[in-house]
Amino acid sequence: MRGLIGRRTVLRGLLGGSAVALGLPALEAMMSPRAFAVGGLFPKRFGLFFWGNGTLPGDPDKPLENPDRWTPIGEGSGSAWTLSEQLAPLAAHKDVLAVVTGLSMKLPNTYPHGSGAAGILSGAVLSKDSMDGFTAATVDQVIAAEIGTTTLFGSLQTAATDTLGLSFSGENARNPAEFDPYALFQRLFGDTFVLPGGEGLVSPTLGLRRSVLDAVMNDVGALQPRLGAADKARLDQHLTGLRELEQRLAKLEEDPPDLASCDRPPEPLEAYPDDGDYPQIEERNAAMADMLAMALACDQTRTFAHFLTEPITNARYPGTTDGNHNLTHDEPNPQPQVNAITIQNMGHFARLISALRAVPEGAGTLLDSCAVLGTTETSYGRIHSKDNLAIVIAGSAGGKLVQDVHIHSPSQENVSKVMLTLIRSMDIVAGEWGTDAAHTTDGLSALEV
Amino acid sequence: MLAGIAAGLPAGFAGGCGREPVDETQAVERGDEPVVAAGPAGLRRLTAAEYANAVTDLFGDGLVLPTALEPDLDVDGLNEVGASIAAISPLGVERYEDASYLLADQVAADHARRARFDACAPAGADDACAEAILRPMARLAWRRSPTDAELDTLVGLGRQATAALGTFDDGLAYPIAAVLQSPAFLYRVEVGADGRFTPLELASRMSFLLWAGPPDEALLDRADDGSLADPEVRRDEADRMLADPRARRGLRAMFDDYLGLDVLPTLPKDTTLFEHWTDGIGASAREETLAGLERLVFDDEADIRDLMTTRTAVIDRALAALYGVPAPAHDGFAATALPADGPRAGLLGQASFLSINAHSVSTSVTRRGKFIHTVLLCREIPPPPANVDTSIPEPSPDAPTMRDRVASHLADPMCASCHSVTDPVGLAFEQFDGIGRFRTLENETLIDPTGELDGIPFADALGLSTVLHDHPDLPACLTETAFRFAQGRELSLDEAALAEWHNAGLAGQGYRWRTLLVDLIAADAFAVAGEAQ
Repeated sequence: MRGLIGRRTVLRGLLGGSAVALGLPALEAMMSPRAFAVGGLFPKRFGLFFWGNGTLPGDPDKPLENPDRWTPIGEGSGSAWTLSEQLAPLAAHKDVLAVVTGLSMKLPNTYPHGSGAAGILSGAVLSKDSMDGFTAATVDQVIAAEIGTTTLFGSLQTAATDTLGLSFSGENARNPAEFDPYALFQRLFGDTFVLPGGEGLVSPTLGLRRSVLDAVMNDVGALQPRLGAADKARLDQHLTGLRELEQRLAKLEEDPPDLASCDRPPEPLEAYPDDGDYPQIEERNAAMADMLAMALACDQTRTFAHFLTEPITNARYPGTTDGNHNLTHDEPNPQPQVNAITIQNMGHFARLISALRAVPEGAGTLLDSCAVLGTTETSYGRIHSKDNLAIVIAGSAGGKLVQDVHIHSPSQENVSKVMLTLIRSMDIVAGEWGTDAAHTTDGLSALEV
Repeated sequence: MLAGIAAGLPAGFAGGCGREPVDETQAVERGDEPVVAAGPAGLRRLTAAEYANAVTDLFGDGLVLPTALEPDLDVDGLNEVGASIAAISPLGVERYEDASYLLADQVAADHARRARFDACAPAGADDACAEAILRPMARLAWRRSPTDAELDTLVGLGRQATAALGTFDDGLAYPIAAVLQSPAFLYRVEVGADGRFTPLELASRMSFLLWAGPPDEALLDRADDGSLADPEVRRDEADRMLADPRARRGLRAMFDDYLGLDVLPTLPKDTTLFEHWTDGIGASAREETLAGLERLVFDDEADIRDLMTTRTAVIDRALAALYGVPAPAHDGFAATALPADGPRAGLLGQASFLSINAHSVSTSVTRRGKFIHTVLLCREIPPPPANVDTSIPEPSPDAPTMRDRVASHLADPMCASCHSVTDPVGLAFEQFDGIGRFRTLENETLIDPTGELDGIPFADALGLSTVLHDHPDLPACLTETAFRFAQGRELSLDEAALAEWHNAGLAGQGYRWRTLLVDLIAADAFAVAGEAQ
């Protein structure tokens, strides 16, 4: 939205002579209608941390040429397991992690990278129309549809590189990721953001914009009867967005929720130009991580999908000599540069977890109420393997998920089981997940408390 | 795509040295237009480029345009096909709303711009003035006249906003924003009535095909009086529209989409390896291709197949340095004659093709070969199978050149099924590095650029371009692409016969691109609407 409300309101203020009235500090902490931390219970939150091009889980037949650098050492909880070389950057967070290995995506691998991403995140196959077209909603959107109905934003999609991400509300209905940190800041924490204790915005422009949206929704509704089923569904997507925006404008007039830990995060730079041929992945990821943490702490949303990179990303990482995807295919075993990239990716995941743990909430931290799924579309990228997938979960979803544990499935179980467990951990009643070979009615019980 | 790799070559194309040259002087006899069932019809979301063109046509040049809109969806190589499938996300709704006020505020405050619709400028509420401005604005924006009820709603929004904000100008921004957020603006509604597109729908189909933007008033008038249902009227209007400067914009939009040139301005290249890849050269490479097409089609009115072989390059100084040819005398782009005995000619000698279809640190024979087959010849090549090691060996004394190294692709039967198609063609371009600079050596070894396409041998990239120029699948594929662009979807199997019929028409007119566009528009199939999708 690139500073939609903020820039626009400023523009309207200049042209229309009507300034935005930011709320004054007041003493309504106990009067806020939106306080939710009753009895110390915080809402459930879900996050996705996705990176492209896999890991290096090794080849058991060639242990010297291609050793396993991903799988943790030992199984079980606490001292029974230690982090692997590639997971080592997550050491400070071992106490809140559940690493699951030995899982498989059960649908056909018809399109390298794409099939894996769609199968893991949506439990379904790709659309025949497009490599980027999923045929079903992704796990973040299934969760957001249940837990994202009262917040300013139903969900957020972000990226640390120039990618649209892979969050889908339904067939071909992509929620494009915001990959510009400054634009995300303007959207979440710009002129319309009010700190806890402040008052809602007072501006005639908010009501006028809602009137315009009402008219547009009427126009969309009037058009629908003339259309076929597929186009009606497309306009339903459009209507959903219009309603969300109208509700957000209404909420801006309310006082913000009373949340002790909510604050404006550091303002990111206006631009993060590539450093030569190297994108500023670390800086952009850090800025996004801090904003996502505060978006949760301020209850602007309860679901996010953050894409460090995308499948087939050819981003160049510091210390490497070629694009990531090229290296996965062309670097000779044991692929030291691919190994270094995966280690960097886990460092970026650690940065996100650190941001969530840095926010105190009740007696613990923001992460306690979260389940953050870290995953990638393949395991051994060189052959686009969909076995031995990478699953790293941070946070217990308010005590629903086990922590400090390495769970290994000896039988290449269906990765959909993890998605079903994660959905259920959000207190959502869900009987099944996935289609065809990816279908399951069982969660991964070893992950559940 | 219609033609698979396994499909035989069309009759009349005898491969090899003794083939018949195409006789351009003789009109191809093609018979009557085949009657086939139409594919599905429905909504087409404006692409980002079409949105920008539409608001420019509506409000005039010089506006600050929105920079972030809902991204386009590329389906089967065309955003124009994705536009019939793509939905609008919640973030997209926000961005369209943001864009609508960015534009509406500029227009409402600018009496000169407003005068395009009506010059009235009251201080306070004035429904008559609001209606005088909004009625023609909505007609052009929505590509149809607004209903009385719709106009009442717009005028009412203006009245409400003027009351709240105090002045007519401030209030007017809100109904303008409503015009731009309306589904009638954001989507082309092409659903037809009784199996035919309505004249207004035909007007939009024509203007977005020829101009990549909305109809003008003259075309809307031809729709409102019903005359666009007559193919001869459509033919006359198409001729008029092709003489308008907006037709150049339309040609650029179509080929930008078709050739995937939009990636060029931000295409990453390793500048330590490629010192000629300077800031802005990606955008220059895009401009070279598009300006060259514009010249070929509109200035020279040449055979479109000459795109493959022309020695006239429209280049700037950065590209001249990359190509090692004399630079234009002035800043900016100029038509330059490439050396007649040089290694470079046509589209496949341009930095755009050569750099997009390569890696950031190297060439890619697979990508370049795949482009020839899938984009230029409309053949299908499946993605690589999973669980296959796709690595290419490192250079070594035994395998100094890429031809030596990709031999592994061709030794493994599983890889060879596709790589034996892509790689021999892609190897023709190995004398051009990852950004298109000419070279004859790789690792101090002479590069062998010879090969064959469909049994026809060539000596190098120039030779391949000549083979492609004369290849019957090239104009067939260009025709199919323009047809897909017009329909906004994949063609049905039935429509393949129509594509062949249009292709015969193109051949009969000496392969003049403008005649193909007019032919598409005048055909009965252009006016037939299938089931609502």
